[in-house]
Amino acid sequence: MQDYKYDNNIDKFPVAMAYVPWQEFDRLFEDLEEAYYTGTIFPCLDKPFTGRRCV
Amino acid sequence: MGRKEQLLKDIGIVSFVVVELTLYLDTHPTDRNAMEYFNHYNNIRKQMTKEFSTKYYPLTLDMTECSKDWRWGAAPLPWEGECG
Repeated sequence: MQDYKYDNNIDKFPVAMAYVPWQEFDRLFEDLEEAYYTGTIFPCLDKPFTGRRCV
Repeated sequence: MGRKEQLLKDIGIVSFVVVELTLYLDTHPTDRNAMEYFNHYNNIRKQMTKEFSTKYYPLTLDMTECSKDWRWGAAPLPWEGECG
């Protein structure tokens, strides 16, 4: 799976295309039970919807 | 909460962690760090399910070890309310 780092050549990317930054593995939640209720073990994926916008 | 319910809940949590790591490794198949986490939690899950099967009842058919009585058949069915 080729990894296109978007930060150094973002200007070459065609317009009107969606780009999802690649997830990097940094750490897991310490409390796995809390992660279970949160719905993910990865802090970077923990994006609770607050009724108006994501955190 | 009894020992059995606590163990069953912990198996649910560790299984969730294993699934999360699997999903990550599916898109990052060369990530050694994630693989170590996966092996670690997968082993824990195996120990816990083995302990649960010997102490209470087998959770899946492949965990069934029985000498005199057919333990798989004796296990409560999911809709019998035992699984919490």
